[in-house]
Amino acid sequence: MQRKIIPLAPRRASAWMMFLLIVALLIQACAPAAPSAPGTESAAPEAAPAGPVVNALGKEMPPDAAPLDQQVLIYPYSGWRTFTTIDFFQAVYERADALTDLLSDSLVRLDKNFQVNPGAATEWSVDESGLVWTFKLDPNLMWNDGTPVTADDYVATFRYGADPTHAWDFSWYYQGVIKNWTQAVNGEVPVEEIGVRAVDAHTLEFTTEMPAPYLPAMLLYSAPLQKKALETHGGLYNSNPATSVSSGPYKLVEWTKDQRLVYEINPDYKGTNIPYIQRLVVVAIGQPSQLLPAYEANEIDFVWGSGTLSPADLQLIENDPELSAQYHPHYGDFRTYYFAFDVSKPPFDNLLVRQAFAHVLDRDTILANIVKRQGIPAYSFLMPGFPASNSEAFKDTYPYDVEKARQLLAEAGYPNGEGFPKLVMKLRAEGPTPVAVAQAYASALKENLGIEVEVSNMDFKAYMDELNAKPTQVQFTLISYGMDYLDPSNMLGVFLSGGRHPWSNAEYDRLVKEASSFTGDPAERTRMFQEAEKILVEDAAFVFVYHQTPGDLIKPYLKGPALEPDNNGVAAWHWPGFSTFSDLLSGVYITKDVVNYRQPPQ
Amino acid sequence: MSTSTLASIQSRHLQELPKQRTLLGDAARRFARNKLALLGLAMVALLLLTALFADFIAPYPYDAANPAKALQFPSQEHWMGTDEVGRDVYSRIIYGTRISLSVGMGVMAMALLIGIPLGLLAGLAGGAIDYFIMRLVEVFTAIPALMLALLLLSVFGGGLLNVILALGVVAWLDTCRLLRAQLLSLRERDFVLAARMLGATNTRIAVRHLLPNAVAPLIVAATIGIPTAIFAEAGLSFLGLGINDPIPSWGKMVGNALSYMRVYWHLGVFPTLAIAITMLGFTFFGDGLRDAFDASMNR
Amino acid sequence: MARYVLGRLVGVLVVFLIVSVVIFLLMHAIPGGPYNEDKVPLSAEAKANYLRKYGLDRPLWEQYLLYMGNALRGDFGVPFQSPTETVAGLIARTWPVSASIGVLALLVALPLGLLLGTLAAARQNTWVDYLTSATATLGITVPNFVVAVWLVLLFAVQFKWLPTGGWGQWQHYVMPVAALALAPMALTARYTRTSILEVLRSDYVRTARAKGLSERQIMVRHVLRNAMIPLLTILAPQIPNLITGTIFIESIFRVPGLGKFFVTSILARDYPMIMALMLLVAVVWSLVYLVTDILYTVVDPRVRLEKSRT
Repeated sequence: MQRKIIPLAPRRASAWMMFLLIVALLIQACAPAAPSAPGTESAAPEAAPAGPVVNALGKEMPPDAAPLDQQVLIYPYSGWRTFTTIDFFQAVYERADALTDLLSDSLVRLDKNFQVNPGAATEWSVDESGLVWTFKLDPNLMWNDGTPVTADDYVATFRYGADPTHAWDFSWYYQGVIKNWTQAVNGEVPVEEIGVRAVDAHTLEFTTEMPAPYLPAMLLYSAPLQKKALETHGGLYNSNPATSVSSGPYKLVEWTKDQRLVYEINPDYKGTNIPYIQRLVVVAIGQPSQLLPAYEANEIDFVWGSGTLSPADLQLIENDPELSAQYHPHYGDFRTYYFAFDVSKPPFDNLLVRQAFAHVLDRDTILANIVKRQGIPAYSFLMPGFPASNSEAFKDTYPYDVEKARQLLAEAGYPNGEGFPKLVMKLRAEGPTPVAVAQAYASALKENLGIEVEVSNMDFKAYMDELNAKPTQVQFTLISYGMDYLDPSNMLGVFLSGGRHPWSNAEYDRLVKEASSFTGDPAERTRMFQEAEKILVEDAAFVFVYHQTPGDLIKPYLKGPALEPDNNGVAAWHWPGFSTFSDLLSGVYITKDVVNYRQPPQ
Repeated sequence: MSTSTLASIQSRHLQELPKQRTLLGDAARRFARNKLALLGLAMVALLLLTALFADFIAPYPYDAANPAKALQFPSQEHWMGTDEVGRDVYSRIIYGTRISLSVGMGVMAMALLIGIPLGLLAGLAGGAIDYFIMRLVEVFTAIPALMLALLLLSVFGGGLLNVILALGVVAWLDTCRLLRAQLLSLRERDFVLAARMLGATNTRIAVRHLLPNAVAPLIVAATIGIPTAIFAEAGLSFLGLGINDPIPSWGKMVGNALSYMRVYWHLGVFPTLAIAITMLGFTFFGDGLRDAFDASMNR
Repeated sequence: MARYVLGRLVGVLVVFLIVSVVIFLLMHAIPGGPYNEDKVPLSAEAKANYLRKYGLDRPLWEQYLLYMGNALRGDFGVPFQSPTETVAGLIARTWPVSASIGVLALLVALPLGLLLGTLAAARQNTWVDYLTSATATLGITVPNFVVAVWLVLLFAVQFKWLPTGGWGQWQHYVMPVAALALAPMALTARYTRTSILEVLRSDYVRTARAKGLSERQIMVRHVLRNAMIPLLTILAPQIPNLITGTIFIESIFRVPGLGKFFVTSILARDYPMIMALMLLVAVVWSLVYLVTDILYTVVDPRVRLEKSRT
């Protein structure tokens, strides 16, 4: 007897199938809510020790600090970014947001109010010409192989940065500032001729191209490499614990590639940035979406919020009172997002068109609904809190006014968007929030002005290649910039001629350059920068959208003076973070509560 | 058995034999009797109609952003909620049918157009031709779709056509290999030998005997290939290649939804459902087609 | 047969060479390079410094010959992404990791898939059939990284039974293998079912039944063997995929495997790594195809890989 083989499924069966599918998908959708933090175990409180506990560097631990073997910080890094070095002078963009630059002291360091304080340099002064700076080094500093830290190490490091065979990715930073730097990078003069010189073992001298009152602030990035190790093993000597040398608060004890690094406190450290925490475990996290789950599972102590926490993550944090208490918003690196146009060609060579675009941006709605707590509205480039910032003055330069925008566009020759070319807004591998902002604006342009816009979120390098092509291939974009050092010359310098945007204004250049080297009355200097910013805003080649206010998640068992509110009442893990560039690392410790969350990793 | 009974059986048999039986006629008849296949056909038809008449079905435009209403859960006003800039998800799903179907079917078409001839050649001609075609397959396998897409995009700009090209250029590999494998097995079979003994030429054997038999796994592969292509497109969109916003594609919507999934589940569930339904539809349809052709062959 | 295999091995070499040229040209045609720009575009001299450092200032053909010359001696250069090791060293370090998850996933997926597919075919049109078909559809439609994220949320964050990721202990294997096995299992189940159903209808099965063989004997002796061919063809591509690592799974679970380098190498324009990876993929695929072709003859003795003499 032949078995019935052809499937003759009644409607009921396929309905079953659909039902099962939907159930399965809904299970996927009902993601569990973020659980509260504390784990199940809770160690019995220890009896108070006899006297104050002191760590390996002799620093007295606060009374609520966890025992020394628990003073371990677990910090995530971007497992997908290129990570080749922990030294700034080796490669800046290849440090993958890890804990880096801990193995030697910078000349200066910042505090949580962004003030420049002595670091490896005990004092500094500049001569009357304003061109020659003398830095006196702390004579106590030692490398942990027994040799002293001398000015030669700093000189060797700076020379390494300017060396064309090294091709440092941050070499632009000192260009035009340190004498002969540009020429050395271009191979025109030997690297020994740059304006960095060792006067004696503990005196370092910088010569600048023109007066640079912001030089000490720039020298935030001056953690030296050891001359001897540099010559023997090359710039990557710190990528391997066996060849690593430290004169800083920590030393590298392990680097398992693509998994984790481990630092331990350096008992031979002789400097002034003395930490509480004994051990740092830096672990790779592959996708930013996994930061919050790892944090919730108590596998990491910290999540940096800039561009990592997704809108859903932020909503979860908002909904959960415990997580909310652990969320610390701050200024980040004073990053501003802005739309930019290619002003060298139509239609954006027309001021009226740009002004129309400026007037059609509904900042308030976008910020309230899309950016939310991740940013504040930006009417100009410098964020409130940054020196020379003048945000209020520009609030009414280009307010949201659809009628005015339409009028201007018609005046420019494109009534209702007729004849206006179709635009492609290119983004540089941005995260979900800037992408959403771009889409909202694109939609507003279509609805209000009749202009068609496509949004393309491109690969980072391909984008930069297009942006910097001559002529530029990026006609319309949303992009951001965050500071490198705390001075308007840095931020406003982005828009100087010859920079990454095709906009060029002679008066702006003049003002910014003059103000940068101005050594007179600080109020006058500020005024000059503000005048330059006025030109920037009014010419509408750039429409400023928002200043980023990222928020970090910090476990409640991380405490210390560094995490207390600053002069503006902001209590957070301030920029530039846990490295020798700031004194943060000497102001954070782990409290006894940590046992309620996790055990120290091996 | 008596002669008369045999004769009556024979005559009955002869009477029942329809005069002209074509392969297609057989297949169509079998297909029509298969309820599941009809359901699949209906679903595919529904998808095609949705794609064609999207303008009439969708309640909102797919690119009307309204940030004030961003990330709303499904409601009376917005049946599938709104996305991160306030666009109606339901409308985007409807318009997304166009893109996703174009990508899925376009890539599949390319795969078949390139894969079938090459697979036929390799499976039938054998020898040196087979050798070189297979080496070609291996060369193409090594080229990642990602690289090709990066290149195409930077040279020709983004867009639907380039995505289809980039994915299609690597999609034909499976088709070709499948067909070849089937042919390798089939060409040694008895019915081929029989046909040859009866004097059939190679072409005739290929077209009338081999190809129909080899078609079955191809159909199944084609039906799996469509959602695969849709997801491959999502991967490309993830990395900033492929379809640009605001044009919706389901794969891209799923990819975008990843950042929102833990709270705003509706952003991910509906496009996934859409892809699942598409796949089910093509699966039933494909299975039905295969059953229809297959059974006729075994008669 | 031996002559055939030899011919195929020569083929592997030929493929190797062709792929190397194609990939080399492709990767240099993509805009951007292993340098970084942000605030200020690199000056011509600074860019030239970079190109010189990575050996990219030489003419393309010279770069190609240099690379291939070294490659044939086993020296694949130094990856830009990890300059303290060699490309070969990096691959040697990461490949076993990916392979272990991939092999485990395959060991889980194949038997389960075969079982499910056979069950579905044997109990056609019953709830067993529909359930497995639905699961199969799910396994193919829901991307594995969505499954992965959901697994993490459930088992690591909610229940805290497993770590959210990492490497070093057996617990770190569980979720990645599960997430990775889903799609191949679904695919296997589906194809098994289809193949078996098709074979069940064929003449020799009917004959076997007429001869009085039990269902079980029929299944094992006739059905499965014949259903294997298309199955093999579909499965073969899964193997290299699994072994070279799936990018998203490894990144979500922080598995230090080779998978991520397939994407990061292209994004970072790490030319030595791209070349080495693509060549590796080419060789692995070629070998897998060779093995499956040989397996065809084992499974179906009627298959002759060389041209038929009739």
